[in-house]
Amino acid sequence: MFRYILIRIVWIFILLFTILSINFAVTKLAPSYPPPTEEEKSMYFNKQVYDGYMEFRLVTEAKEMEEIRKKIATGEAIRSSYYEDKGDFIRAFEPVPVSEQYFKWIKNIVTRWDWGLSTRVAVGKPVFDILKERIPTTMALNVIALLFYIPIGLTLGIIAALNKDKIIDNFISIAVMIMISIPNFVIIIMLVMIFGYYLEWLPSIFPAKDAVAALRFRGLILPVLALTFGPVAGLTRITRAELTEVLTSEFLLLARTKGLTRRQAVIRHAMRNSMVPLVPTIIFSFVGILGGTVIMERIYSIPGTGQIFLRSLTRNAYDYNLLLSLSAFYTSIALFAILIVDVTYGIIDPRIRMGGRK
Amino acid sequence: MYNEKNIINKDIPKQKFEFVQKGQKLYEQKIQGKPIGYMKDVWMRFRKNKVNLIASTILLVLIICSILMPIISNKEYIKIDEKVSFLPPRVPILEKFGIMDGTVFIEDRAVDLSKKDEETGLYLPKGYNEKALYMDTLTNKRVESLEKSPLILNGQSVLRLNYDSTSMTVESNEFYNLSIANNAYIEIDVFELDSSSNSKIEVLLQTDFGGDYTVIETITETGKHQVKVFELNEDLYADVISKLRIRYSSDNKGYYAAITSISLFDDSSNEPILFDEGYQLSVYKIVDGKGLYQRQNSEMILASFRYNKYLSAFDLTYESAFSSVEYEKLLAEWGDKVEVIPNPDNPDGWFFSEGFPIREVVRKNDSIKVGGQSYSSYEVYLDYASYLGYDDLPYYLFGTTLAGRDLFSLVWVGLRTSLLIGAIVTLINVTIGILYGAVSGYYGGNVDMLMQRFAEVMSRIPWLIVLSIMVVLFDPGITTLILTLVITGWIGIASVTRMQFYRYKRREYVLASRTMGARDLRLIFRHILPNGIGTIITASVLSIPLVIFLEAALSFLGFGIGHGQSFNVFGFTFSGVSIGVLLSDGRNFLFNHPYLTVFPSIVVSILMITFNMFGNALRDAFNPSLRGVED
Repeated sequence: MFRYILIRIVWIFILLFTILSINFAVTKLAPSYPPPTEEEKSMYFNKQVYDGYMEFRLVTEAKEMEEIRKKIATGEAIRSSYYEDKGDFIRAFEPVPVSEQYFKWIKNIVTRWDWGLSTRVAVGKPVFDILKERIPTTMALNVIALLFYIPIGLTLGIIAALNKDKIIDNFISIAVMIMISIPNFVIIIMLVMIFGYYLEWLPSIFPAKDAVAALRFRGLILPVLALTFGPVAGLTRITRAELTEVLTSEFLLLARTKGLTRRQAVIRHAMRNSMVPLVPTIIFSFVGILGGTVIMERIYSIPGTGQIFLRSLTRNAYDYNLLLSLSAFYTSIALFAILIVDVTYGIIDPRIRMGGRK
Repeated sequence: MYNEKNIINKDIPKQKFEFVQKGQKLYEQKIQGKPIGYMKDVWMRFRKNKVNLIASTILLVLIICSILMPIISNKEYIKIDEKVSFLPPRVPILEKFGIMDGTVFIEDRAVDLSKKDEETGLYLPKGYNEKALYMDTLTNKRVESLEKSPLILNGQSVLRLNYDSTSMTVESNEFYNLSIANNAYIEIDVFELDSSSNSKIEVLLQTDFGGDYTVIETITETGKHQVKVFELNEDLYADVISKLRIRYSSDNKGYYAAITSISLFDDSSNEPILFDEGYQLSVYKIVDGKGLYQRQNSEMILASFRYNKYLSAFDLTYESAFSSVEYEKLLAEWGDKVEVIPNPDNPDGWFFSEGFPIREVVRKNDSIKVGGQSYSSYEVYLDYASYLGYDDLPYYLFGTTLAGRDLFSLVWVGLRTSLLIGAIVTLINVTIGILYGAVSGYYGGNVDMLMQRFAEVMSRIPWLIVLSIMVVLFDPGITTLILTLVITGWIGIASVTRMQFYRYKRREYVLASRTMGARDLRLIFRHILPNGIGTIITASVLSIPLVIFLEAALSFLGFGIGHGQSFNVFGFTFSGVSIGVLLSDGRNFLFNHPYLTVFPSIVVSILMITFNMFGNALRDAFNPSLRGVED
């Protein structure tokens, strides 16, 4: 078991590494967007030199200076380079080859945990600090949503399965069909419109951090509700499907003939067996919810990671360092979710032996 | 009815029985009825589920509507026309019941004090067309407001000293003309004045034109005070023409005095010649000393009313620069049917006879010459409904957007775009998925292992990351949209195809074909694929709503296509407006114009629900053993 988890973790890091490498290569292929103001720009390029992505040299030779001036004047694209014309000399910042930058980048992250500075969203701030401020909000929202949706989804699924083909089951099935089909951002907008603007029961944007506790609590209701709609429907649907299948099996009949009550039979025997396909659904839905919060955060103005993700993707003002760290965050969550799924299989169903020999 | 018991107990006389085949020989007979093919079988099963059949019909209607509706509705959905922006929905039959009748309830708008309804005594709102206003719904209310604006009435003006100041002076904007012959006097109504700390209000006038201001009277208590200028200063020998200054001074810094009104009377009439109160009083300027000059207890009248936006939008519209090209075109179109009627009051302009969209030309503007050609424009009044080609007020079923485009047409155009992108992306996904899955499943072994690992890596990349890579590489637009959807989309189809290949590749008929020398390509496409196609088709159809959903989400976030953009498919140009774009537009007007969000939401929800039901029905039909598994 331990060995298996170790292998999986190594595998996760390989995947993470691959995805981030692709990301890195892409950002180097695309045009760069240094900070807009001159002061910030020189700070940024000095940091680039310090991090080893660029080389700095003073150009004093008249002939070369002339050449560079001509290049600047004619607007000839000097990819990612930057020249500061000081009259007598030119301060030249020129990038080192991408492959070299790549290894420097990895070294900076591994040895110093330095993901670089933000270039556009919050100029000059280390991107990991920006991330650190926002992760709690997003994660709290997601975990609360998860805690809410699991019991609701399971309960509805069990009710539907136990009352198969009765009115209540049909009602739940239709509701599930509708809830699963309506795009989550439509649900969010509608909820905000009805409860936020018209009835004014709940705040129409996310309350600030220093707001009263009661208001902050009320501010959580809409996003959690909106985030759980789809997953609840999905979970209900799968629970119902799995449970109806297990309910017809012979071992359940045996359990009932042994004298177990219906409740005992369903909860101890049927549910445990139908858990095997349910657990991955639940854990993957966490990843899904995380993706859904991006839209949610934009509509409800929640200061979370999704919001800066979109901000760093503003057209022609891309913040690559921030994007890379955000990619690392989202990807590692997605990958660790898979690990947890694999591990929990063994716990729920002892018949599945992880990494066991055949 | 026909259970065993009933039949046995039924008393049927013996003679009624007869042999079916008495005296006949039984030979092999042809099968009666037609054989049922695979597709027919599928269709029969598909037809059985009534609910799904209804859903599929609705889906079909939606698709047909998305193609035909923009043409049928015949409304503008491309050009920008800010005159008809934000018209609420108006539906022919529903409007009789008072819902969706093109009216909106407007609350708390400032009133125009010069317009008063004679019957009810209510003020009309400022900047709204009277004709479009429902008088019976008009109400006025008064709210407190301290703004220095002519719309704010009553109250007092407060002279408040700063904490380091003992006196301040304000001066009127207008000159007070005090006539000595009529014995003019000024009346000041002081509302509040502190009597304890040596507070006083002094009235100053410039008794010599251009000279210094001198104190005429000192007031130390509240109430109305008449300042008889000529009685107090008997040495004044002529009319005094001066601005009026009021000086407030007090030992208590930070104290204040309030004045209700200042008026000028003389013997010629009982009515004041000049009467400054409310706004007029509040705009006096501070000329000396430190302090604040504010209003207090003043109020504003607000009107709430029901307003017909259609009537106001399509009423006579003033256009200051109506292009002469369009003018000539209109005249040419109407030809003899239009007559020019001269305007006796305005020699520069003229009228047109009844029915012509241009009702009146005020004047022709100066023409400009650019490149030898002269351009000019007219100042006109347009009958806007008839100018846009409507005989009556038009019905915008879903209302209009900020840009004055018809939302009803836009929704269908957007639906068409969404469906089209869904179809294109699914086609690409299915092609890639089938090829990938077929190769992976058919060859198996190491090839399969490697391809599976690759697919796993691809499927593990969150769509957000794919999106960011594509946006950075290609900028937002149709390329980014389609690539993002394809990169995250093909894996599902590939794994379904691979499973089908694993299922069928060891079958006897494949083996038989192989022994006869069939090549891999033939085996894959002629033998294995057709057998597994049902599942693949269902998976493909079920993936369309997912694609549409993701497209809407991406467009909503602003990474898709938008207004004014278009894309080409096989030589046809399609609008870039999709449902996601419409929802994104409506987001900023959630409160004031909710219909902009509600209608696209409803349409996209119906689309998704019916599409999912259709997909499920298809799956049940193709693979009856899976029925109800994931319902």
